Amino acid sequence: MSLIDEDEALIAAAVNGSAYAWEKLVKRYEPRIYNHGLRLTGNPTDAMDLMQEVFLGVYRNLHRFRGDAKFSSWIFRIAHNKAVDMNRRKKLMTVQLKPDDDGFDIFDSLPSEAKTEPEHRLNAQELNSQVLNMLAELPMEQRLIVECKIFQSLTFEEIAELQDMSVNTAKTRFYTALKKLKVVSEEANVLSQD
Amino acid sequence: MSCPKTEHLTKEYFSSDLSEVSKQEMESHLRRCDTCNQELESLLLVQKNLESWQDQRVPHWDRVMELYRREHRSNEAQGRVFDIWRWLPTAASLAMMLLVVLNTSLVISDQGVSISFGDLSPIAGLESDVDIESRFESFQQNQQAVLADFVIRIENRQDSNNMQLMQVVFDQTQQTTAENLERIYAFFEEQRLQDLEDMRVGYQELANNDYETIRSLEQLAQYVSFSGKVQ
Repeated sequence: MSLIDEDEALIAAAVNGSAYAWEKLVKRYEPRIYNHGLRLTGNPTDAMDLMQEVFLGVYRNLHRFRGDAKFSSWIFRIAHNKAVDMNRRKKLMTVQLKPDDDGFDIFDSLPSEAKTEPEHRLNAQELNSQVLNMLAELPMEQRLIVECKIFQSLTFEEIAELQDMSVNTAKTRFYTALKKLKVVSEEANVLSQD
Repeated sequence: MSCPKTEHLTKEYFSSDLSEVSKQEMESHLRRCDTCNQELESLLLVQKNLESWQDQRVPHWDRVMELYRREHRSNEAQGRVFDIWRWLPTAASLAMMLLVVLNTSLVISDQGVSISFGDLSPIAGLESDVDIESRFESFQQNQQAVLADFVIRIENRQDSNNMQLMQVVFDQTQQTTAENLERIYAFFEEQRLQDLEDMRVGYQELANNDYETIRSLEQLAQYVSFSGKVQ
C-alpha cells in the first residue's frame, strides 16, 4: 500500500471515529508541521501552539477532504494559513532570535534524538540556531516564501497559488529574501573574524 | 563591475520551469560573466546554509485529549460571554420590577441619603390628594353626563312605546273622534310625565348613593395616607 493510499485509509477510519487512525495520521505529519512552525515562529512553545491549531483545523475539516489534492498538500495549506493568522495575532519571531545571545538554545527545551549523541547535538544545535537567526532577519512574507521554496520544495507556481500572488512576485520576493540573507551572512562572517 | 542580467538570471535560476534552451543560455552566460557567477554562488551558499536545518523531534503531547481541551476551551470562552448577555436583560427587568413594586424612593438631603419604600413623602402625599380630588370631580361630571344621556334615551323610548300603545287602543276601541283622541292623548301624556318624574328621582337617588360611596372611599384613602404619614 502506498503512502497516499495509507493516508486515505487512515482518513476514512478517523472520520468514522477511530482514535487509533487519527493518532497514526497525526504522527505521520506532525514532524513536518512542527518543524515548519519552529522555523516560522522561532520558539518551541509557539511551534507547538501552531501545530496543535493546525491539527485542530485538520480534525474539524477532515470530513471535507475529498482527495482531489494530496493530503500532504492539503494539510500544508492549513498550516500555512494558520501561521499567517498567528502572525497577525502576535508578531512572531521578532525579538527572541536576535543574536543577543544569552544562551538561547532551542535544544534545551526539546527532547531530541540528537541529544543522546553529544557531537551530533552540538553540530545540529549550531546549524539550526544559525538558520533561525538568519530567518529572524526576514519579514514574515519573505520568511514564508523561503519556507515554501526551500523547506517545502514547492514550485513558484504552487507558491503563487497558495499565497494568492503572481508567479513573478513570488520569484522577486524569494530573490529579495536570499539577497538579504546573503548580506546578513556576510556581516556575521565579518563580525566573527573580528 | 556589474551586469544588467544578474537579477533576471539569478531570479530565474531557482525556477523549475526553465526550458532546455534557457538553461543552456544561462550556463553559457555564467561561464563568461564573473559578476553573475559570484552573485549566484553566494545565493546558493545561503540556500545551502538554510538546508542544513535538521528536523527536531516533536515534544510529547496527547494527540486526542490536547485537541479536545483546545476545542472545549474555545467553546467555553464563547459560552461564558453568551451566558452573561443572556441573563443581563432578565436581571435588569427583575430589578426594575422590584423598584416599581416597592415604590422605592431615594432622597438625598443635608442629613444624608435615605432610601424608602412606599409613598411617604409629604409633598408627594399632598399632590396625591389633589390628584384624587380632581379625578373624583371628573368622574362625577362624567357620571352625570352619562345619566342625562340615559334619561333622554329612556324618554324617547317611552314616547315610541306610548305611540304604539295608542295605536293598539285605537284599533281595539275603534274610537276615532278628535275628542276621544285628545282625551286619551292627555291621559297618556300625564302618565308619561309622571313616569319620567319618578324615574328621574330614582336615578338621582342612585347617583347620590354612588357619590356617597366614592366620598367614603376618598375619606378612607385620606385616612390611610394620614396614618402612613404619622408612622
